[in-house]
Amino acid sequence: MVPTISAQLDAILNDFERSVPHVQATAVVSTDGLVIASRLPKDVEEDRIGAMGAAILSISSRSGDELDRGEMTRVLVEGTNGYILIRSIGEYAILVALVEKEVRLGMLFYECKKCIEKLSEIL
Amino acid sequence: MADIKKIVIERDLNPYHSFFASFFAGLGELGMLNQGSINIVSKRAADYLYSYLDAKEILPDMNAVPGDTKIEIIKNLIMYVNKILTMVGEYDLQEAGDNKVVLLIEGNTCRICPKGVGGAAVKGTLCPIPSLLEALINMIAQKDMLELITPGIEKEGSTCKAYFKVLN
Repeated sequence: MVPTISAQLDAILNDFERSVPHVQATAVVSTDGLVIASRLPKDVEEDRIGAMGAAILSISSRSGDELDRGEMTRVLVEGTNGYILIRSIGEYAILVALVEKEVRLGMLFYECKKCIEKLSEIL
Repeated sequence: MADIKKIVIERDLNPYHSFFASFFAGLGELGMLNQGSINIVSKRAADYLYSYLDAKEILPDMNAVPGDTKIEIIKNLIMYVNKILTMVGEYDLQEAGDNKVVLLIEGNTCRICPKGVGGAAVKGTLCPIPSLLEALINMIAQKDMLELITPGIEKEGSTCKAYFKVLN
């Protein structure tokens, strides 16, 4: 039996989290800000992550255009407790990852790119 | 942008419709607003509106809302909310089977659409109506009567559709 799209997305997110130590949570969100799939802690409000992730990416993309920075490739928000990484998956979806401060960024970006490629095949 | 004069006249807009639709359109175009954030903010607005209606002593008495079935009561509550906020001209609430209802809005009569009225040049939808109705009606009823199934609104030609599950 072919797994559902939700199950396939969940499996890809799970692989990503397992391959990069310190990735705490992930979500696939539509560019409308609506959550498609997520692996988030219970205390994180899924709707808010979706809406804010899409808004951050959208504003960043607009800013990149306005300030002639070319096509936006990723957004990395750095806080004292860790990072929020946001990348687009094609035209209609985005990936949001919550990551601890101790992560190796090179590894994170590399595995994130692979994850995006897998997600793109499904979405 | 579409012919503003035509929209103002045909949809019978008041200045608040014009202001808010264009204001939200601007935020949407800057990337600051999307359907997900509208769904969240609508619930906050419903909270505030409920307090407003309470302060003005115009909240409906649930025992006096006409209707023999839950769906008829919900229809009348939607009519009440729309009468106060004058959001849309033509709409209908129809049974969709399996304890579901569908709200059908004639898009060309909507007065608060950030896209159709405000002229937002964005992909996707920016509709506050379904999430606002869900939250406000549940507050007025003092129980969960409606649960929004559609994550926003679906466009089908000129009709905008939102599906709800009828609870309790």
